[in-house]
Amino acid sequence: MISLFDALIQLIVAFFATVSFAVLFQVPKNQYLWSGITGSLGWLCYLLVNQGYGSVVIASFAATLVLTALSRFFAVWRRTPITIFLICGLFPLVPGAGIYYTAYYFIMGDNAMAAVKGTETLKIAAAITLGIVLILSLPQKIFRLGLSKDRF
Amino acid sequence: MENENSPLELAVLAGRILLSNGAEIFRVQETMERIAASYHMDTFHVYAISNGIFACGMENGVAHTAEIRHVPLAPVHLGRVTAVNQLSREISQGKHSVPEAFARLREIETLPFTADWVQVLASGVGSGCFCYLFGGSPFDCVVAFFSGLMVYLFILLAGKRHLSKIMTNILASAVAAFCGLSLFELGMGHSMSHIIIGSIIPLVPGVPLTNSIRDFFNGDYISGTIRLIDTLLIASCIAIGVGFVLKVASIMGIAVGVPV
Repeated sequence: MISLFDALIQLIVAFFATVSFAVLFQVPKNQYLWSGITGSLGWLCYLLVNQGYGSVVIASFAATLVLTALSRFFAVWRRTPITIFLICGLFPLVPGAGIYYTAYYFIMGDNAMAAVKGTETLKIAAAITLGIVLILSLPQKIFRLGLSKDRF
Repeated sequence: MENENSPLELAVLAGRILLSNGAEIFRVQETMERIAASYHMDTFHVYAISNGIFACGMENGVAHTAEIRHVPLAPVHLGRVTAVNQLSREISQGKHSVPEAFARLREIETLPFTADWVQVLASGVGSGCFCYLFGGSPFDCVVAFFSGLMVYLFILLAGKRHLSKIMTNILASAVAAFCGLSLFELGMGHSMSHIIIGSIIPLVPGVPLTNSIRDFFNGDYISGTIRLIDTLLIASCIAIGVGFVLKVASIMGIAVGVPV
């Protein structure tokens, strides 16, 4: 199990990682904090599930559930398109490492490992898709959480 | 020339700004319909796909049509999406006349990007942080930071030279792999793989992937497919760029190590 200290460091690093993408995508400055929180809590969930089950695919799915729900809540609360939180928060989960390893093994002639990594990359993408779709299907009123009705 | 009193033209301009700055199709259509309804257009129909908007409507008994074609190569600017969203909310509350709303949209259309050096720095910080998240040591992160700076400098340069999107992605990921590899060979960092993974992160197609999923979810299959192809193409470009550099290195006899 990861120590509390490690988890804290990971949270902070994931926060800055997400915020740096918020800067790259020109997110308004007053939303940096919230997109950062979305990204870091999503990443924490990924870490914990990955530790518990040892599957990056299930971990990506669980993390996507958490961060999409958070994005929807922030979108209602901050009166902002959900895109802002979702795109930035999702970045740590997008399988950049998968693309790299697939290319690496492919180029090095290890086709078996290339296939393993390529399939895993596609599975992660499918898990992210499923996670987003499930949470987007929930009715909007769940995410209002007592906020007044004029916030849509 | 646009007619500054036409709600149809106003809706189309709002739709174009949303579409070219990274909004999903559903939001584009919904915002345009909301604007048209707020100004009491008799009828209004819109069809948007990821590279075009077709709208027709009836104003004071006269039918108008408008059509926008757009090539989705523009960089994402979520600040403009947020601003249009806010404006459309104010329009539905009846706060703006059509010419006023036009003036606001023109301001939003030209909202600036953050300074180049800030973007480059953000790319470096992003690369360094992701290198750590994917298991790199702190030393690797520092190397990935510099590598990430170089990648984004290259992207900005390529943007100014109007290099095609495919070439930009292939060359930028080659730059990432080259920087990571050469810094590693100079004795910096512990894991070449983690350094390179960190530095390709600014290229990874997170925006088209997310938008593709959301378009599919809303039933906009054509746009979802276009963006899915965009995602796969970018991912392939990254693989080609990185793979090329690694292959050349291994042919030259440089040990590219076993990834961890």
